[in-house]
Parts: sequence; structure tokens; C-alpha cells
Amino acid sequence: MKFVCMKCEAFMGFESVQVPGEQSLGVTFGCPQCGAKIAMVTNPGETAMVNALGVKIGGRVTPAEPMELTRQTLKEEPVLAKSYTPVEQQKILETEMTKTKASGGTCPFSGMIAQMQGEGSTQPTGQVKWSPAARERIERVPSFMRPMIEMGVESYARKMGLSDITPEVMDASKNDQGEMAWADGAIARLDNIPSFIRPMAKKEIERIARERGQTQVSDALMEETKSKFIGMGY
Amino acid sequence: MTAEKDLKTILKKIQFSDDAKVMAQLVDQSLAVKVRMGAIKRKIVVMSGKGGVGKSMTTANLSLAFARAGHRVGVLDVDLNGPCIPKMLGVSGRFELTPEGALPLIGPHRMKIASMALFLSSEAAPVRWKGPMELSPVWLGLMEMNVIREFMADVVWGELDYLLVDLPPGAAADKPPVIAGFLPELDGAVVVTTPSEVTKIVVKKSIHYARDMGIRMLGLVENMSGAHCPSCGAEVHFAVGDSNDIVNELGLPLLGRIPCDRSLSEACDRGQVLAPDHPISRRFDEIVKKIETILLPKSI
Repeated sequence: MKFVCMKCEAFMGFESVQVPGEQSLGVTFGCPQCGAKIAMVTNPGETAMVNALGVKIGGRVTPAEPMELTRQTLKEEPVLAKSYTPVEQQKILETEMTKTKASGGTCPFSGMIAQMQGEGSTQPTGQVKWSPAARERIERVPSFMRPMIEMGVESYARKMGLSDITPEVMDASKNDQGEMAWADGAIARLDNIPSFIRPMAKKEIERIARERGQTQVSDALMEETKSKFIGMGY
Repeated sequence: MTAEKDLKTILKKIQFSDDAKVMAQLVDQSLAVKVRMGAIKRKIVVMSGKGGVGKSMTTANLSLAFARAGHRVGVLDVDLNGPCIPKMLGVSGRFELTPEGALPLIGPHRMKIASMALFLSSEAAPVRWKGPMELSPVWLGLMEMNVIREFMADVVWGELDYLLVDLPPGAAADKPPVIAGFLPELDGAVVVTTPSEVTKIVVKKSIHYARDMGIRMLGLVENMSGAHCPSCGAEVHFAVGDSNDIVNELGLPLLGRIPCDRSLSEACDRGQVLAPDHPISRRFDEIVKKIETILLPKSI
């Protein structure tokens, strides 16, 4: 709807919209030439028409949310799946990372998350085939984490020369932390640890390194974690 | 006196500008649909002027057949007041809203499924509207049109080979034109009928109406075309007529006939998928082959 200033022979311009009452909109227009103003007040029917179109008179301040009109016009509050704000997503990721670091974490994908974060990957490739059972399992992962985990599993599958991803491959990939590099000095010190506890010590030192975002076990880290293994001879 | 000026003459002289940004928003809405639908190679509606003929069953099984053929498939249930596609395809859940849009449910064969049922608190919960509809039911059509628009624009369909749209009963009057209005590149409609004379009369009306709207008719599926004996599996014919007359009269391909079948009925009620080698699955596979052939000139 437009208004014409008959005096100036010009379209009046939209100026503001107000809500003067329930089921009513007050839309103010002004003549750009003489400054005359006119306010149009909609009746409930006209207001309903605007609402049913899903538009905001004067334009949107913020973009429409997904399914906004549908959700707003359903009488019963629509039931939605849990969605996550960026802050919540970060929190969940941090929690999963912690699970990875702690032995015996409960999240089946936490290892992959850690690995993918370390690799800084971007997208799953889709070059390997997911079995229906594996696909069903990955669908249970929150959507924002799914691409990262898919990529982690696919990366593991490719590394192992596998073309099909099954739940068993997913299980195997979650334990695959990738190779941790060791500095020469650190290897020498590792060799000083008694053989019967060396594997356990190696695993624990690598865990600490990963926890700190390091890709290599350095001399400095060995020195730092020495107290933990005091008396082990290194 | 300014009031005596001729408005028609004035309007010819002055330039309209959409400073209330209403037109711009409507254009944006249409663009959003086109962008989302642009990632889908083929869009097919399943319709019938008559209710209870098996549109949703046909949609569900056609989508399964397309998926069995190796296609990436989405199913949009726009039977807003009686959504049953999720139930038939054995999925339940809710929309998850993300910045990219509403995530559809993932069904058998990785099909993407969206339906009003995903918003409802239970199977028994009716769809009730507030706002414009509380004022007057005359706003129902406009509102449903925009709800359907959101289902097309706001659901994260991703890249698909086929999107099948299950229309509500009585669809002759509004939904196909709405869908076609949003989707000028709609590939066509599959019409579901039964051998009943009464059904065929109503179905014919819907076909004429949809054709007037420029919607391509891909063909006819005759549902409840006889029955499979639950004991011996033999196919029996109980209807007096069939769809040959309507097919000949309207120049439509008969895509296939689906008999009443206990296992099909059970599968739909329980949300189970019939085995690929089940006779009904094979019939839908044949229908899909025919549709693919009809659509062949437009290569995927």
C-alpha cells in the first residue's frame, strides 16, 4: 500500500511502524517534499494478512529464523530437537576433549574429535562407503559435530585402506589417536624407563602432550613430567 | 484544489519505491526457495483430488523405490493437517534448528524427511493455528502457502536427486498451484486414483485444474487395484472398472497398479520398509523406471 501526497504529487515515504493495539499496526508515512505525515492504522484483518505473509513492514532488523512463521503461528508450542548455541557447542566440544584425555571416556567419538581438532580438517570426502548401521550411528551425533566426526572416521578408514565404514571401523577409529612424534632426547629418556612400565608411561606422556595440543613429545615435556615418574630412572 | 487532481496522471509521473520493504521481503522469500530447491535435481508432487486413495502410501513407497535405485531422495509431507509420512517411513523425531536451517529427519536409505508432524507433541496432536486463523479461516490458504514455502526454503535438504512432495487431499484447488508457483521448474505430478468411478470423477477435475496451472502430469498410479489374497498371495480383482478410461481420455501414462496387500498395509502402519524383492516393492520399482524414462530428456 502506498500513499500519494496530492499537493506535492509525490509518493509518501515509509517512516515507522508501531503497534497501537492488539491485532493492529500503525504505519506512518511522510511526504518527502512538504513533510506532511499520515498514519495508517490497520484493522485485525489487514494485520492478519501482513502476518500471514511472513513479512515485517519497514524491513527486517534481523534475518528470519528457520521455520519462523510456522513456529509462530502454531497454537501449541512446537516441539523441537535440542539445538545448540555456539557457546554450548564449544562447551560440548571441550567436554568431549576432556573425555578423550581421561582414560576410559564414555563418548564413542571423543578420540576422533580430538584427532580432527588436531588435524584442523574441513569436510568429509564421501569417498568411502558408510554401512546403514554405521550411518545410523553417526546420525545420533549432534549435527554440529557430525561432519568433523565423519571426517575423522573416513580419515582413519583411508589410512587403513578400508573402503567401507562399519560400526567396527568406527570403534577402531575412536581409539586411533595417530602417531605422536618423539624428540631424540625424549626417546633416549623413554628407554631409561623400566621396560615393564614403559608402554604405560609412554601412553601417559603422549596423553599429556595431546592435552596440551602438542604433536611431539619433547625433552622439556619429559623433564616436566618427571615428578610423575620419579624413581623410574629417567 | 489538490483534491481535484487526476491521480492517474500523477501516478504516471512519479516513481514507486518499496521503502516499506514488503516487496523486497517477498522477493527474498521466493529467492530462498529457489536457492534451496536449486540443489535438488527433480521435484515431483504426488496428488489426487480425492482423499483416502493412498497418496502418502504412494509417496512413501515411490521415495523408497527411488532410493533403492541409488538416488538421493527427500520427502516433503505437506499434508499439514494429516501428516503421516514420518510414521509410514518409520522415523520419529523433531526438527533441529541450526543457522543453516531446520534439519530434516534421516529415514531409510538416508532419505531426508520433513513434515508438520515433526513439530507436534504427539501423534494424536492436531495442527491448530493461532494469529490470523483465530481471526478468520479465510486466512488459512495464505498462511498454509507460507508454511509450505518455509518447508521448501528453510529445511536443509542439501543436494538431492529427487524430492517427492506428498500433497494433502482435496489438493486440486490450492496446493499444486502453490507448489508450482514456488517451483516453476517442478518436474511434474504423479496422480493417485482408485478404480472407483466416484474417485475418478474427482481425480479428473484435479488433473484438469493442475494442467491449467501448467503442471506436467507424469502419469497415474491406480491404487487399491484388486487385492493380494493374504493366504495364497493370488491377485483378485474386485472392482468393476479400472483406470483405463481415464488414462485414455486424458492421455496420461498409467504408471502402475498397486493392489491392496496385507503386508503393505502392515508396513505402512508400523513404519517398516518392505523387502526389495517384495512384489509391491517391485511394482514401485517399475513405476520409478517409468517416471525416470518420462523424465529422461532432462538428464540428472
